[in-house]
Amino acid sequence: MIIEIENLSKVYPNGNHALKEINLKFGRGMFGLLGPNGAGKSTLMKIMVTLLKPSSGRILIDGKDIQYHRKLLRGILGYLPQDFRFFSSLKTWEFLDYSGSLTGMKNRKKRMSEVDRLLDQVGLFEVRDRQANKLSGGMKRRLGIAQALIGNPSVIVVDEPTTGLDPDERIRFRNILSQLSQNNVTIILSTHIVGDISSTCQSMALLNKGELVFSGPPENLIKKAEGHVFNLSLSPVEYEKAKDQYDIISTIPTENGWDVQIVSDKTPVYESLAITPGIEHAYVYYMEHRLQTHLSE
Amino acid sequence: MNNISFFHNIKTIARYEATILRRSLFFRLFSIGALLIFTFLNLGLFSPIGDESWELVAIPSSVPLLNLYLLNIAQSVLVIFLAADFLRRDKKIDTNEVLYTRPMSNLEYVTGKTWGILKLFLGLDIIILLIALIINVISKSMTVDLLSYVTYLIIICVPTLLFSLGLSFLLMLILRNQALTFLILLGIAALNLFWLYYRFGSFFDYMAFGLPVFKSGVIGFDNPELIINQRLMYGLLGISLACASVLLFNRPPQSKIHTGVSIALMIFTFAGSFICGLNTVSLYKTALHDRKMVIEAAREFEHSETLSLTSASIDLLHAGETIQATATLSLTNNNNDSIDKYFFSLNPGLKINSIVRNNTELKYRTVNHITEVEAQKPLYHGQTDSITISYSGTINEAFCYPDYSGSINDNPYSIEFLNVNKRQAFLTERYVLLTPETHWYPVPGLNYYPSNPARIKVDFTSFHLRVNTSEGLRAVSQGLMKKEGDCFCYSPESPLTGLTLAIGNYCSDTLEVDSINYIIHYFEGNDYYKNDLSGLKDTMSYLVSGIMRELEATFSTTYPFKTLSFLEVPVQFYSYPRMSTQTRAELQPSMVLLPEKLVTMRNAGFRKQMIRQKKRMARNNQIITDKDLQVRLFNDFIRNSFISGENFRYIDGVAINEPVRYRLSPSFYFFRNNFYSFKYPVINAVFESHLQKVTPPSQTTGYYGSTPGLSDYDKANLVLSNYSLNEILSKNPSSDTIRKILTLKGDYLFNLLRAKAGIDEFNTWFKKYIDNNQFRSVSADQFNKDIKNNFGFEFYPFLDEWFNAKEQAAFNITSLQVSQIIIDNRQRYQVTFTASNPEPVAGLFTVSFRTGPVGGRSGLRGGAPLLMAAEGGSNNSNDGGSNIPDASNISKIVVLGPGEARKVGLTLDAEPRVMMVNTLVSKNIPGLIVWNINNINNSPAGTKPFEGEILLESIPDYSNPLEIIVDNEDPGFIVNEKTDNSPLKRILGISNENSFSYQQINQRYAPEHWQPVVQPDYYGKYILSAVYTRSGNNTQEASWNAVIREPGYYNIYFYVGKAIEQDIRRDRTGGPAGESQGRPTRPVSTGGDVSPADQSVKDIHLKIYHNEGIEELTFDYQNARGGWNNLGRYYLSSDTARVVITNMSEGKYVIADAVRWVKDF
Repeated sequence: MIIEIENLSKVYPNGNHALKEINLKFGRGMFGLLGPNGAGKSTLMKIMVTLLKPSSGRILIDGKDIQYHRKLLRGILGYLPQDFRFFSSLKTWEFLDYSGSLTGMKNRKKRMSEVDRLLDQVGLFEVRDRQANKLSGGMKRRLGIAQALIGNPSVIVVDEPTTGLDPDERIRFRNILSQLSQNNVTIILSTHIVGDISSTCQSMALLNKGELVFSGPPENLIKKAEGHVFNLSLSPVEYEKAKDQYDIISTIPTENGWDVQIVSDKTPVYESLAITPGIEHAYVYYMEHRLQTHLSE
Repeated sequence: MNNISFFHNIKTIARYEATILRRSLFFRLFSIGALLIFTFLNLGLFSPIGDESWELVAIPSSVPLLNLYLLNIAQSVLVIFLAADFLRRDKKIDTNEVLYTRPMSNLEYVTGKTWGILKLFLGLDIIILLIALIINVISKSMTVDLLSYVTYLIIICVPTLLFSLGLSFLLMLILRNQALTFLILLGIAALNLFWLYYRFGSFFDYMAFGLPVFKSGVIGFDNPELIINQRLMYGLLGISLACASVLLFNRPPQSKIHTGVSIALMIFTFAGSFICGLNTVSLYKTALHDRKMVIEAAREFEHSETLSLTSASIDLLHAGETIQATATLSLTNNNNDSIDKYFFSLNPGLKINSIVRNNTELKYRTVNHITEVEAQKPLYHGQTDSITISYSGTINEAFCYPDYSGSINDNPYSIEFLNVNKRQAFLTERYVLLTPETHWYPVPGLNYYPSNPARIKVDFTSFHLRVNTSEGLRAVSQGLMKKEGDCFCYSPESPLTGLTLAIGNYCSDTLEVDSINYIIHYFEGNDYYKNDLSGLKDTMSYLVSGIMRELEATFSTTYPFKTLSFLEVPVQFYSYPRMSTQTRAELQPSMVLLPEKLVTMRNAGFRKQMIRQKKRMARNNQIITDKDLQVRLFNDFIRNSFISGENFRYIDGVAINEPVRYRLSPSFYFFRNNFYSFKYPVINAVFESHLQKVTPPSQTTGYYGSTPGLSDYDKANLVLSNYSLNEILSKNPSSDTIRKILTLKGDYLFNLLRAKAGIDEFNTWFKKYIDNNQFRSVSADQFNKDIKNNFGFEFYPFLDEWFNAKEQAAFNITSLQVSQIIIDNRQRYQVTFTASNPEPVAGLFTVSFRTGPVGGRSGLRGGAPLLMAAEGGSNNSNDGGSNIPDASNISKIVVLGPGEARKVGLTLDAEPRVMMVNTLVSKNIPGLIVWNINNINNSPAGTKPFEGEILLESIPDYSNPLEIIVDNEDPGFIVNEKTDNSPLKRILGISNENSFSYQQINQRYAPEHWQPVVQPDYYGKYILSAVYTRSGNNTQEASWNAVIREPGYYNIYFYVGKAIEQDIRRDRTGGPAGESQGRPTRPVSTGGDVSPADQSVKDIHLKIYHNEGIEELTFDYQNARGGWNNLGRYYLSSDTARVVITNMSEGKYVIADAVRWVKDF
């Protein structure tokens, strides 16, 4: 399945230009959409799941424009919104049954079997009769992914799924997504947490202020940062100066001062050691150093 | 469109939306509350352990109707909250986003939601209906109308819910503000419930709150066209609004087909709703238009002279929803002039086919309901003509009461609170009811005279009726039926003022007692009373005979007809009050039209009454046989329904008196006598109102805590103080007002005649006179001549002033003295008093007495019984219900010319306890003045009795030059109102200021303004009034102002209007204190009690202006004695003296009446 986004723009009635001429293309597997808050990720997600109409441009799934084939997309879609809650008076299984029934699963027996399978998969079978307001935040998020999975969707859109989760739940959630991505599905993961992308995505895009600033495999983004990430050991006086000179990624206090990681196009004036960048380094280098440098030029 | 997924999706959404709603706390509380309330309600109203009120159990459709009527109101409000809450939730929570990304269309989603809510509420309705049905089935008093359970669910609840949901969805989507949506929707609901429910033909009544949907047990729904159109209008509009919500839904649509279907459905349902709305309006407008046309046509002919219908032979064929008839009419010209054009009124739904005289067709023209026939030759005075009119068609009921205002407040018709449609006629395939009011046969004259609505045309006609109808149906009319082949023939033995025809599935029972045939025509299966009163079979003749004798004794005459038929008619039959007569259409000559199963009649549930009375008697250790109890119930029912029953309904705390529709009194006057006058066309209505008058409401504490106040006479006098009778009639007042005025004017006129002719002499003569003129119309001219021949005076000269004058006399009665006197060795009682009339027009008043020892029950004492004494009045007056004396109790009638004063003397055989003066048409308010007679002196031996009147040279002047009195009616009493309307009142334009008309004190809701009130205990020259207002914080003020000419010390008195025992001169022109015999008091004998109003008045805050400044004092009204209370002694200069009262008080309200300044040397 190929998803193509062509010249997609969205301008809200209040004049906010949320998306500007986005062009993207990706296929099966997990696709990560990374960007700071307000970058336009959720708007893009909502357009992708047919909750919003674009102002211009289009999204094609296997060559079919989803604005004209909403039913087709909705029939193969699983969606977990950013702020997922569900009706407090419905039980866990009832909500899945409701969602499942709307995906077209008319046979009640099969539907119930699927509901139980998914509850088991996300570790909620034990609380299948529990009402929503009695589930923990992580449980609710897992229920959210379960409802997104019901009906065997081939496109799964998850918007900021790990926000607010404790580390255990976050790892557990990433694992679920990883497992899913092994199946024949396309998962579009929108997040501002860089770690979510590095561990799971085969392909990704970077959004900043409504513009697409990068697209491709995460390795390509990392490659762009190679030779630009340094580790410095600084005295307190040097540290104060370096703060104004470089984009600092991390600081660790030492006996004599600070161990600091920075991104820079040039070799720092202080004693430094070039290190192999990770996705987080690459994100910072790209978003906070390169783009700002580009803008200032 | 994939139908399977379409319905599957709707079903899924509906199921879960209903689940979510069902589990919400709001709905749970509502449903549990509803189940409990309705279970107890049904048990309390319909079960054998409950009330089983006959009004509710008689017709089985009441059960589902009552349940759904109440439930529908509650749930239509609740659904507003729930529906709006659904969309609010949709808007705010992402939960719905996961549903919105599912492959369903917006149409499916909104439909599913709607169906989910609908099904839940309907489910609740059905459960409550099942509870009602179980109770219905086990009740012994009711049958079961299963179909009505389903029908009412569909016509009441479904459209209301659909409309509420559709409107809620749409408003929420447009406004996107839940609070505003609530406010608007609740506003619409409140407007429906409190204002719009009946207006404009129930067009805006989306809750079916005022829509008459009561279903007859005989003919079912009588107005399906209105019900279907009105309910479909809202049902379809609800669907249309829901479809509009689909289109406006904040989710990109999924299916072009579904969007197209939504648009098409929206347009289609809106168009359907529009058409149904047009039909609903059309039904309302058509009736209004038709009424207007009737009035317009009548206006053209109202001054034309008409013939009298002496006989009519009608041959009628009932064919489906039409009739075809031929009427041969004998017409007499009783006018002085010849007539060459005859005009007739015929219901505008009927069309004339031909008019023939002796096989010659006559030319005619038709103006709406009036047909004018070219007579070809003049018909002179006294001559008779005969013509035959063929006509056919249907009946237009709008014709019957052209002056009907349409206000449900004026003319409510509900069984308990269930609205019943008002029908004046029925003409269907299986049932027909045509009363004379429909003019189903040609009638010379009009049914309404626009310039004088009190005018009426009455003919005594000999009828012959021949009816052919479908097989299985039976035609019923007045008199005894004869079958001629397939035809039903009726030839009433006596001339009638109108003929009634009913055709239906009737059964008849006849009982002949004392040469009168009592016939009951009832619908098959509705003779429940036979079982309930089975013990009366053997004694029925005896009972009926006794009741008729009682009736005849009451009216001092015999029942004039050979038959008395009781005709059961569908519950929807309803007559409006008319200005031209107080007789309602339920009563016809020799026939009474009774509602099916006597549903609206008190005490008609004999079985339940038997059970109740038995229980009550067992508790009191009384023993009575079933038969005796049945006799008692039967007699009570007959007396209450046909002889003396009264209905009082209350509007704004004021009792509106409406005699029970089935009282037989018109049989003794209106259906057998007729007085007419072209110059004074109101004369018959006046005679009828006087001779068949009903008792005004009891003068005890009224509804909603109202205290005694204005009687009907007082209200009539207040109207007459501004207008003459002639002017009032032209203003087309309400029927209740006109009845009060006509009764008062009738009393005045008859008492004038009695005063001139002598009470006993006139009564005896008049009784004989109307017996001699039975079934004849007597002109006022003839009556005048006959009076002159008998009594030597003419009655006509009084009529002009009586009809056209608006000035009123006013009376002061003073110096009442009562003493024992020996006449012919027998102890008797001499009563003397002085009466004066300072006004420039003549007037009269009546004097009557309550006699007997103190504490004992005694009747009013007076002259000889009068024929046609007010049938209810005489009974009730002795029971203390009303003390207005009727003609049979009047001891003396005093006529006082302009500025005249007379000393009046009477001798009584029995000891008088109370003297009552009824000032009739006068400025005195209240017009009934009552004296408790406490002191009776012994006259010296040899004192000559004084019986009669002595004209005094001048009106006695009792005014005291040393005192100044300012009453609330005087110019010196000034009210300083401060408007303090609430913001909401200001927005809605509601003013605190009320009309200046006198009212009764309302102890619960005192007004915020100074409201004039009338009570016999208040001070006044003619109008015994005060003003009162709600207690507040110094926000209202009133002051008494008087000019002091002579400086000096003054004692200042404040008047407290409550009953006292002390002899205090109260009226300013009364005799000096201590001279008078007692004092006028409230009409109900109070024995010195305290007015109920006084208990709500505590402290009164007054400011007294005097030479040294202003003294503020608190007056203890609650513990003050009635009459003048001294506030203190103050020095006053020659200036304006002033006393101010404020509304500051701890009581409920404050009262301001009168202040007196008395010079102190």
